[in-house]
Amino acid sequence: MTHPNIEAWTRANADHTDARAEQAWAKDEIDWGVFRVPESELRALPDVAGKDVVELGCGTAYFGAWLKKRGAARVVGVDPTPAQLETARRCNEKFGLGLEFVEAFGEDVPLPDDSFEVAVSEYGASIWADPYKWIPEAARLLRPGGELVFLGNSTLVILCSPDEDVPATETLQRPQFGMHSFQWPNSGVEYHLPHGEWIRLLRANGFEILDLIEIQAPADAGTHTYYEYVTADWARQWPAEEIWRARLA
Amino acid sequence: MREPEYVAVNRESWTQANAEYTDRAAREEWSREGITWGQWHQPENEIRMLPDLAGKDVVELGCGTAYFGAWLKRAGARRVVGVDLTPAQLDTARRMDEELGVGLELIEANAEDVPLPDQSFDLVVSEYGASIWCDPKLWIAEAARLLRPEGELVFMRGTTLRNMCVPDSGPATDRLLLPQNGLYRIDWQDGDTAGTEFHPPFGEMFAILRDNGFELLDFRDLYAPEGAETHEYYAEPSAEWARKWPAEEIWRARLRPRSS
Repeated sequence: MTHPNIEAWTRANADHTDARAEQAWAKDEIDWGVFRVPESELRALPDVAGKDVVELGCGTAYFGAWLKKRGAARVVGVDPTPAQLETARRCNEKFGLGLEFVEAFGEDVPLPDDSFEVAVSEYGASIWADPYKWIPEAARLLRPGGELVFLGNSTLVILCSPDEDVPATETLQRPQFGMHSFQWPNSGVEYHLPHGEWIRLLRANGFEILDLIEIQAPADAGTHTYYEYVTADWARQWPAEEIWRARLA
Repeated sequence: MREPEYVAVNRESWTQANAEYTDRAAREEWSREGITWGQWHQPENEIRMLPDLAGKDVVELGCGTAYFGAWLKRAGARRVVGVDLTPAQLDTARRMDEELGVGLELIEANAEDVPLPDQSFDLVVSEYGASIWCDPKLWIAEAARLLRPEGELVFMRGTTLRNMCVPDSGPATDRLLLPQNGLYRIDWQDGDTAGTEFHPPFGEMFAILRDNGFELLDFRDLYAPEGAETHEYYAEPSAEWARKWPAEEIWRARLRPRSS
């Protein structure tokens, strides 16, 4: 039996991410999340020039491609969904960026210890893998002083999301107490932790927290036409996404 | 530094709250066994957000009637200085300190501008004190100045979620009544009482700590325990609300060694 997250992302690749991949790979500017806030405003990433980078849950690997264009020495994209990796390989050939790909879950990566300076995850392992497994993997893969940067959803948008497949509301739909994994309709299994749990998990794995950026949708942003879990209007008033930046001691 | 205008507003509101509640509650609070956190008195030996206190010099910013500082002194702190801007609360604190012979030092000052020397403490604490009643850009900078290198800052405040869901008057809701980006400073009016509170959300508070040289060590959301009842005086949010969503949060940070 296929893993529910592979099923969900095989469908999403056919519906959306395959068709969108080449356009995303072609971009030169790095941006973050569904409202595409530029990295030049958020400044969440370390300098990647000359660095070895692993992207955990790379999907079609456009984010890794952007880092390679910024001068990363090596970018390895890790993802469990074969369909998305096929799209990523096609783009990689077309754009000649020289990424490497590994088919694996973020919780269990077949790569050696201490082999990267930067680990990133943008809506990848950051929400689709169990944090209590993928954060230790990130720590294992990084060299001392290496950095981990990941984007996921805010606790607040999860609290405000109904069980049905509709955008976040202005009402708390569920308790925060005990929040960890979520099964939404027509989707896979997601993981969302409150801030305190992230902090204790990161520190227990040897990370120092360098930044936590709560993203506000820009004034002129529109609601995403495919990822409709939150409207731009909601995300201008409350953070729907957040970026963590941490450094391994 | 000239006293900001909200200091007088908050002093008035705490003079009134002391007459209504905190003066009469002081003896029970000072007499409590051990250290507890927040509206539902959760014990520090379960929550574990404080460093070892033995032999430490501690300053409490916005101490009110200083029961929290009294607990730290009894738990082994060498010196505890309570700083508060409301004379009525300090009178209560001095009365309790004499009655119970704990040996606190009490100073009337705004935590944004504390008349104490640089690098004179190992620990700064604030439990619903400066942590919500003072401007974080000012009081966190003061905390950093007062601490010795690698000293710690531990403070409690209401959660961002609570501040968005609890109206100025009336019961806590399950609705987002305020946008998150308006929380840094809240000027409120409830009948004859007014106050100014500061509630920067998580990311903004994190940035203030980092910019003042602090490393975040821990962060804990507090929920009301099973069986807890709604607080007699601080009635919102109710225990029922606070069992589902965190009403209170504790931050623990450490000053990085100063780089030359």
